[in-house]
Amino acid sequence: MTEMTRRERILAASRGERADKLPFFHWWRHSQVGWAERECRNRGMGMAWARPSYTVELRDVDVVEQPVMVEGVKVLRRTYNTPVGAIYLDEKREPGTGEWHGMRSWRDVSPWQTARLVKQPEDYEVLKFIVEHTEYTADYFPLEQAKDWLGEDGCVVDHHPHSPMQTLMIDWIGSEGGRFFIHHAKYPDLVEDLYRAISKSREPMYEIAARSPADVIWCGDNIDGVLVNPRLFERYFMPEYEKMAKPIHGQGKLFASHMDGRVNVLKDLIAQTPLDIIEGLHPPPMGDLPIGEALSLWKDKVIWVGFPGSIYILGPEATKKHTLELLREVVPGDRLTIAMSTENLVSNENLRVVTSVLENADLPLTGEKIDRIEKSLG
Amino acid sequence: MTLEKYLASLKEGIINLDFGVVVKAATEAMAAGVDPNAAINEGMVAGMAVVGDKFEKGEYFLSELVVAAEVMKEGMAVVKPYLKGSSAPGLGKVVMATVEGDHHDLGKNIVTTLLRVQGFEVVDLGIDVPTDKIIGAVKEHQPAIVGMSALLTLTMVKMGEVIEALKSASLREKVKVIIGGTPVTTEFADSIGADHRAANALEGVKKCVAWVASPERRQ
Ligand code: B12
Repeated sequence: MTEMTRRERILAASRGERADKLPFFHWWRHSQVGWAERECRNRGMGMAWARPSYTVELRDVDVVEQPVMVEGVKVLRRTYNTPVGAIYLDEKREPGTGEWHGMRSWRDVSPWQTARLVKQPEDYEVLKFIVEHTEYTADYFPLEQAKDWLGEDGCVVDHHPHSPMQTLMIDWIGSEGGRFFIHHAKYPDLVEDLYRAISKSREPMYEIAARSPADVIWCGDNIDGVLVNPRLFERYFMPEYEKMAKPIHGQGKLFASHMDGRVNVLKDLIAQTPLDIIEGLHPPPMGDLPIGEALSLWKDKVIWVGFPGSIYILGPEATKKHTLELLREVVPGDRLTIAMSTENLVSNENLRVVTSVLENADLPLTGEKIDRIEKSLG
Repeated sequence: MTLEKYLASLKEGIINLDFGVVVKAATEAMAAGVDPNAAINEGMVAGMAVVGDKFEKGEYFLSELVVAAEVMKEGMAVVKPYLKGSSAPGLGKVVMATVEGDHHDLGKNIVTTLLRVQGFEVVDLGIDVPTDKIIGAVKEHQPAIVGMSALLTLTMVKMGEVIEALKSASLREKVKVIIGGTPVTTEFADSIGADHRAANALEGVKKCVAWVASPERRQ
């Protein structure tokens, strides 16, 4: 077999076909540019880029941003003025935000909200107005540009926001102090009504995605089974994934969701979703579902592993050991890709040590092959 | 309604996560002269114990724990004015914080709520709390226990910094230190010299209760 390109490897594995080597890559948003990154890419590490296929326009909504001081802390206040009322959020930013990877700080932390759009029951009506006046228009330029730049060096995915209920839980109502759960228990009608409105307004976005030049449509859903418990997942997430999957699969594309939390309690439900790729799955000790178990449970799915930050912090020796153990767990290594990280920056030495294990991970993996890799590393 | 009926309503209301039932039962019970301590302990706290059991058995999820605690908070708001300083003796003080640079507060809040339900007085310093603020709070409140939460590998090292600062301020021997959060392992807890790493909120709270109940209680 002629050697596959990094892009071919990622896509072959993602379609459930056998790649020549276990695909591994770094997400651009967490990647440094420098000698270690270059060395690792020369040794087989791919790149993945997430960009949107659409632009968003708000009709009859006036958005104003201004810095304000709240309890002695400088925050950015974004106010949404609508004919039915105004709501605002406050956002705190670390140094470096907007100066390199999108909105990430030097330490790779995105801005976080210190005040959420939903503060009281009256705010739901304003948000519903905003949702119903949100328009999505296809814009494939960012994807085409990234595809052109990356070429065979990696994979470009179409990036979508949190699914509707996750948008409410993580972005708009927020989970601080359990606020989302409390609102969901106290004002179920308001929460569900807004959920339905978001789901409806997103329909054109799913159609745009399905026709985009990306091979993989990726919902950055940040699923964690502690927060999105099985009852919530079944009621609000599975139906939405079904809805998204229809146009995406209709155009022969792959559908991925970011599940970077502890998903053991959701494993049987996840098996029933139409998702092709479970992306960002973190093995223990960060997550709570071993990759081997997930692969055997989800026979029709592919896993893009997110390398756990709690191993990186232990240093290169522990990182090497964990990578080798991971290989042994997933023999023969099909239906799998490994991302250097889906959450954090990775040190030069950790990047190199993972590469040194994975660069020789020819498929199908066997115990002997892994022994040989281990020996070669000394 | 009889005393038993009020207590049963309060307990069931908590178990069923019903804001309306608990507030109504609490209001009526207080008007009928029910002992506020009974309303709290035999009604709401008893309900919370069942919720805790259901959580441990996997019948209830974290969200139910959070909502039950909120229902109890609303019930407590009704009952509290009737307490007139006649509350049961507490278990002691705990200073809780999510360490500097970290904004994850769900775990910390649950622990705080459960500690309060158990009878601890918790000084909750919030999120993104600098080390010197934690030390200042320990000096001021003289707690039996310091609880810290961190969810980021970037920030968990701050827990070690706090323990070192406690040592420098000659406070380390005066408090037990309990830590928790996703990336925090027992090995890490040992390496920084914490007394315990909580696997989850309930287990952590049990440990705190055991500490203050044990003969080596340091307060
Ligand atoms: C929800 C969440 C968020 C929410 C937080 C909302 C909130 N108000 O807390 C938001 C979206 C804001 C967020 C932001 C970020 N997050 Co986050 N987040 C999570 C997620 C999905 C769940 C965490 C959670 O709340 N779980 C539920 C609670 C109840 O569980 P818990 O905290 O573990 O607490 C339990 C126990 O641990 C214990 N416990 C916890 N603390 C304590 C303390 C004591 C004393 C005791 C006794 C017990 C105890 O009791 C609790 C109940 O049993 C995790 C995934 C994961 N695997 O954990 C990622 C995760 C923690 N986040 C992560 C990251 C990277 C971030 C960001 C940096 C992302 C970014 N690009 O900006 C920011 C950081 C912002 C900041 N400065 O802090 C990473 C951290 C990786 C790493 N190597 O450090 C994780 C692990 C995701 C991952 N897969 O890698 N996040």
